[in-house]
Amino acid sequence: MREILKMVCILSLICGLSGLTLSFLKEVTTERIEEQKLVFVQGPALAQVFDKADNDPVKDRKKFTLPSGEDVVVFPAMEQGKLTGVAIETFGRGYGGDLGIMVGLDLVNDKLAGIGTTTLKETPGIGSKVAKHGFTAQFKGHALDGLALTSTGGDIEAVSGASVSSGAAMEAIGKALTIYESLKDQFATTWPSS
Amino acid sequence: MSKFIKEFTKGLWKDLPPFRLVLGLCPTLAVTKTADNGLGMGLAVIFVLTLSNFMVSLVRTSIPAKVRIACFIVIAASLVVAVELLMQAYAYPLYTQLGIFVPLIVVNCIILGRAEAFASKNPIHLAVADGLGMGIGFTLSLTFLGALRELLGSGTLFGAQITAEWFKPFGFMVEAPGAFVGLGLVLGGMNYFTNWQRRKQGKAAIDGPTHDCKTCGMCQGLGGK
Amino acid sequence: MEYFLLIIAAIFVNNIVLAQYLGNCPFIGTSKETSVAIGMGGAVVFVATLATAITWAIQKFLLAPYDLGYLQTIVFILVIAALVQFVEMFLKKVIPPLFESLGIFLALITTNCAILGIAIIVQREEFGFVKSVVYAVASGIGFGLALLLLSGIREKLDTVRIPQSLRGTPIALIMAGLMSLAFFAFKGMI
Repeated sequence: MREILKMVCILSLICGLSGLTLSFLKEVTTERIEEQKLVFVQGPALAQVFDKADNDPVKDRKKFTLPSGEDVVVFPAMEQGKLTGVAIETFGRGYGGDLGIMVGLDLVNDKLAGIGTTTLKETPGIGSKVAKHGFTAQFKGHALDGLALTSTGGDIEAVSGASVSSGAAMEAIGKALTIYESLKDQFATTWPSS
Repeated sequence: MSKFIKEFTKGLWKDLPPFRLVLGLCPTLAVTKTADNGLGMGLAVIFVLTLSNFMVSLVRTSIPAKVRIACFIVIAASLVVAVELLMQAYAYPLYTQLGIFVPLIVVNCIILGRAEAFASKNPIHLAVADGLGMGIGFTLSLTFLGALRELLGSGTLFGAQITAEWFKPFGFMVEAPGAFVGLGLVLGGMNYFTNWQRRKQGKAAIDGPTHDCKTCGMCQGLGGK
Repeated sequence: MEYFLLIIAAIFVNNIVLAQYLGNCPFIGTSKETSVAIGMGGAVVFVATLATAITWAIQKFLLAPYDLGYLQTIVFILVIAALVQFVEMFLKKVIPPLFESLGIFLALITTNCAILGIAIIVQREEFGFVKSVVYAVASGIGFGLALLLLSGIREKLDTVRIPQSLRGTPIALIMAGLMSLAFFAFKGMI
């Protein structure tokens, strides 16, 4: 009996100690890990969307609260200290899970600046083509209305054989536009021109 | 001191983990697509192995024999989680490259094998020497195999283009089949070298290393037999 | 159809040993005899399925709600170690014949990275419960198939003259490489 008690004590002591150390380590690194994820996951998509921006959109990002109470992170693009565009990451339900799209909006002309993919689990060679230039290029400089696949009366050509993935991308873009509309007025005050 | 050096150096050649003891095959095969990845995985293993050997040796007298394996697993797994967090914070691209093989360090036979076979029976300084030596040996082996596969498979070394224009890389080498065949040939080559040495000393040649469950040192340990 | 594709993909196209590099230690270690290979394959299918089902539930109802995702590795490996001990005791008491054939392999399974690997893969791919279990069964079968094939080859190799330096593990690895190359042909299937 005493032996069992000793075993239980020592095991729980070791587990407790390791739990304590790890939760401390987690506290310390959380912020850096989030930063790193943004740089390496969202960073390339942002660079693709805003090829002319001279600031670091990841560093200058700000969190906004939507009227629905949800939080959303917005990435600004600046040229010579002037805010020219914003990007919002949204998700659509694709074939292989959530499809993440970085939607860039051109504030100067009130148009789409372009899109880039962040998380992609679509079928390689078929659905994954939504990340390819042929599909994404259609959004560069597109007006904010009439954004729909040709099958539903718009002018965006879906990736052939991948209607689910294309639909997911459109779903994500639609969400981003809704967010953009509701936050539009706050951008200029959040990132004033310098 | 001489004992310290002896335990340290055995991991570098005599008991070189992946090539001599045939330990930790999965990461050896999986992450050696490039020399970079091999090196990164090796460094993570050095960290976990040295610290786990240190801690196991530290608590070796106070752990009841029946739960020692469970304790070793908790120690190793905690260190692996620590590596996961640190790697995400300071080497995120490497973390995504190594993928699932970062958490899988915990079931790498080297970690639990050394804890059971060495650290639980030896004083702290020797356990650390053993961990460091084995870890460095593992790292060198992985980097070597990674460099070999990268060079033949994509014509680069540590990401830098070094082969001549006319060299057409064998895509085979960076894929799974190349990993198995590459490791098999390296093992065979090491044996050939050993046998060449033995013949010079007038001893009979030996067969290649065999891998069975004893290599892990876990057979008796885990079954409680 | 979705499940059919998943099963075919897990057994042939993305074979857990030959394409995903998981579970290589037991793959090389227990492939010397066909009878041993069958036992190990069976044990892996059995434990992988149970472990995946249990760890899936733990992730869903314990780790995710309390934001403890970072402890995944430590919790999973402890659950697997405990599960293996428990299965061993259970089989010994309740189904002795099965214990006779699987018993010695169970001890080796905790450090088989295929088990922990499958449990983590289904989390990273965000599979649902049924899909996870189906994937675990199929991957286990894929492991058993590869093991059985390699053991057949190695039994034949025993009767052949091979260069001495290649005997043992080196030739087994090269054979595994050739098998992996053969399985590579399945890539175009899906």
